[in-house]
Amino acid sequence: MAPRIHNRRVSNALLPYLTSSQSSSTPSLSSTCPSSQLFLRQFSATAAPQTRLRRQMFQWLSTEGAALKHHVPGETNYLQGRADRDSDSHEAPRPFPGNRNFVSESVLSEELRNEVYVRVVEKKKSLRAVSVELGIDMKRIAAVVRLVEMERRQQSQGKPLALPYARAVHEMIPTTPLAQEGERQTFHEPINDLPAHPLTGAQIFYPVPESRSFTRVDAGRVFSGAPTLEKAVADKISHPSDLVDDIIQNPNSIEWVGKGENARQVLQPADVRIPHPQLVKLELDRRAFPNERRTVAQRHAERVEKQEAAEQQRRERAQARREKSVQHVEPEGSRFDYRIQDAKFTKETTGADGRAPWAPGRRYGVPSDDRKRGVVKIPTRVEA
Amino acid sequence: MRNRASTSLSKGKIRQSWSKYNLYNLQRFRNPATANRTFFQQKWSAKAVSRAYHGEQVREGQWKRMFSRRIRSVIPMNTSDLAADDGSKVSAGRGSGLKEGGPTQRSRLIPYTQMAFAPLERRLDVAIFRSLFASSTRQARQFVIHGAVTVNGQKMRHPSYLLNPGDLFQVDPDRVMYATGAPKTAFERRETRQLKQKSEDAEGEAEGEEAEAVEKPKDEKEGIRDSLKALMAQAKTIMSTDKEILPAKRKQELRGFQKAVRRVLSRSDTSTVLTDSLETQFSELTLLLKAKRAEKKPAKESKKDPKGEDTTPSAAKKSEETASGALSEAFQAAAEGGEVDTSELTDEEFDILKRALTQMRDNPIDNSKPYATPWRPRDYMSAFAFIPRYLEVNQNICAAVYLRHPVARPGSAEVPTPFGESISTPAYGWYLKRRW
Repeated sequence: MAPRIHNRRVSNALLPYLTSSQSSSTPSLSSTCPSSQLFLRQFSATAAPQTRLRRQMFQWLSTEGAALKHHVPGETNYLQGRADRDSDSHEAPRPFPGNRNFVSESVLSEELRNEVYVRVVEKKKSLRAVSVELGIDMKRIAAVVRLVEMERRQQSQGKPLALPYARAVHEMIPTTPLAQEGERQTFHEPINDLPAHPLTGAQIFYPVPESRSFTRVDAGRVFSGAPTLEKAVADKISHPSDLVDDIIQNPNSIEWVGKGENARQVLQPADVRIPHPQLVKLELDRRAFPNERRTVAQRHAERVEKQEAAEQQRRERAQARREKSVQHVEPEGSRFDYRIQDAKFTKETTGADGRAPWAPGRRYGVPSDDRKRGVVKIPTRVEA
Repeated sequence: MRNRASTSLSKGKIRQSWSKYNLYNLQRFRNPATANRTFFQQKWSAKAVSRAYHGEQVREGQWKRMFSRRIRSVIPMNTSDLAADDGSKVSAGRGSGLKEGGPTQRSRLIPYTQMAFAPLERRLDVAIFRSLFASSTRQARQFVIHGAVTVNGQKMRHPSYLLNPGDLFQVDPDRVMYATGAPKTAFERRETRQLKQKSEDAEGEAEGEEAEAVEKPKDEKEGIRDSLKALMAQAKTIMSTDKEILPAKRKQELRGFQKAVRRVLSRSDTSTVLTDSLETQFSELTLLLKAKRAEKKPAKESKKDPKGEDTTPSAAKKSEETASGALSEAFQAAAEGGEVDTSELTDEEFDILKRALTQMRDNPIDNSKPYATPWRPRDYMSAFAFIPRYLEVNQNICAAVYLRHPVARPGSAEVPTPFGESISTPAYGWYLKRRW
């Protein structure tokens, strides 16, 4: 193979040696090329172990496949199928020519990642707000904050970072850049994904009079087998997003249907189940008051604040309950912090005979699960 | 576990690997023929082909237990659509919405069966491969078994650990650099052996040499800061270890660079930049280069200014500016000294200088590493480089978070698979039927 000719755009990760002209190639790169092998083989009596397939492969690698060997910074460099070659290159990058349904989606660029961290940690904005501003999923924002914090900690500890690797990867895959000042930020991903609920898989024939308006709330009740809402209750709901406030304030207010094993909560409309239900309210307000932008924004801010306060309160209450049930004991001079929790002896916690495998305490003569044969010992979760 | 997963050309199976054999197989792969074959045969071959890629390291029985017929999917909702209609429009009329004049928007199908192997993406070894930390799932598996992987800060030695949403896993950066970097050449391997021998034979001698290297710049100017000394020492080691390989020309260039750096540092040692970390020095350098590009002449004219300004204590911003001025002046002086390069430093040379400095910091020549240094991505890596959305990866620390389980959405599926629906549908069908 001919030695690689450097591109005009020199890769950041490679950062070649100090050379007076960028077009010169490093000689160590070309030392494995087959020309040297051929040179050696001239003195060899045995034939090279080349099958037809190997020959074809190396031929492909030196012709069509040669472009795949090294990447061009800022561009994807995927295998191209016939369909890719025919169509224009503006389509989404697809790494597998045989699979049109898989797209190589962009990742957050380094700057955008840092911006997320700055907004959440330094400017103390909520995950929800940052998610809406930048168009990034809330889970991803939480993960980014965690990772950037970890990165900074490692940096301060002087641990080595894989910088050339990181640069190379970001050159190879599409990235979502951080908008320059004055530009609009391109959204990274859809943030209002509605997970398909298993109850909605069923095809139900449900006759409804034409005169009746059948909304998403009613559809959810039909899917979960709940009786129709009473007229007085139904009339109060002008739009399905009216349910959001109550449910945010008190998630336990969702109605239950069924008994025993079959007990399930009534399926809520999409307006409630999406990650950012407040955006629907915002949109409704915008439609209702198209000329009062400030009022709309203010109402939206109030709603978001209320929602966050409720969530915070719930979190604190749960934490307090957990703390209350656990007694911390730290003996003097000990490295350990014992957390003692009272065992509750009910049918649910200890089983019908009080000897269920999940019951607290040890049972004499019965080996624990991590000692038994045939029981999987691989942990199912790791506490953070 | 013995590796039975060969990427042979005669079988032409596609594996989770970045090997060039695999790339060739991927390129020449054709869907198995369906004409004149029973449905059972079609399903069998589809299953065989896709299992060679998905979880080839997992026993069939194990996978059958993991298989789930329920496929997670997600519909991106548009808030303005939700606000516009409470659902009654869709169910109006005879239950399928009233016909409007405009053409109805055709929704894209959700490729459910492309998600047939989604449970395998939860495995730790597969997730490591998907976050581009290993060049194959087999290698990822080895990293886990050898104890180079932590999950939520605890060492995890089970490649089959199923990640839960929110789990953070981290791989040793050195292993990642080894897995994704170009391999060493024969010359470099020899260097490594010699380095090892040298360190074993005479540790004292080596130390003496290094001490000498550090002393030299000291004689010239004693005020050089520690970080810069380290920089110089690194340049020295580049020279000393690579003496045999480096062609004469490059060696000359490197030596010239070394001299220039030394001169720069000795002249600007009074400035505040030198007291700061390497990071700030680099930002200074980039600032300087930008300034240089913008206005070439003013930099030259401000030759005498910096020295006067250096002594006066000023605000942080101002000191930075003066420091960059001092540096630029020093660079100028170094260029005009005539010993290194007779020509004046051009923009290009500045660029080169900056690149060389960056390299020396981030991507040093270090023969003790198991990969070719300076690090560069291995061949054909870019053809396999993508990161699915259910992972959030930080490459700097080689850590990633498993955000959620992969989902399908209209028009796309998140499970990376090289096979189209004509293979994944019969394969999914194969596992729908219980055969044991």
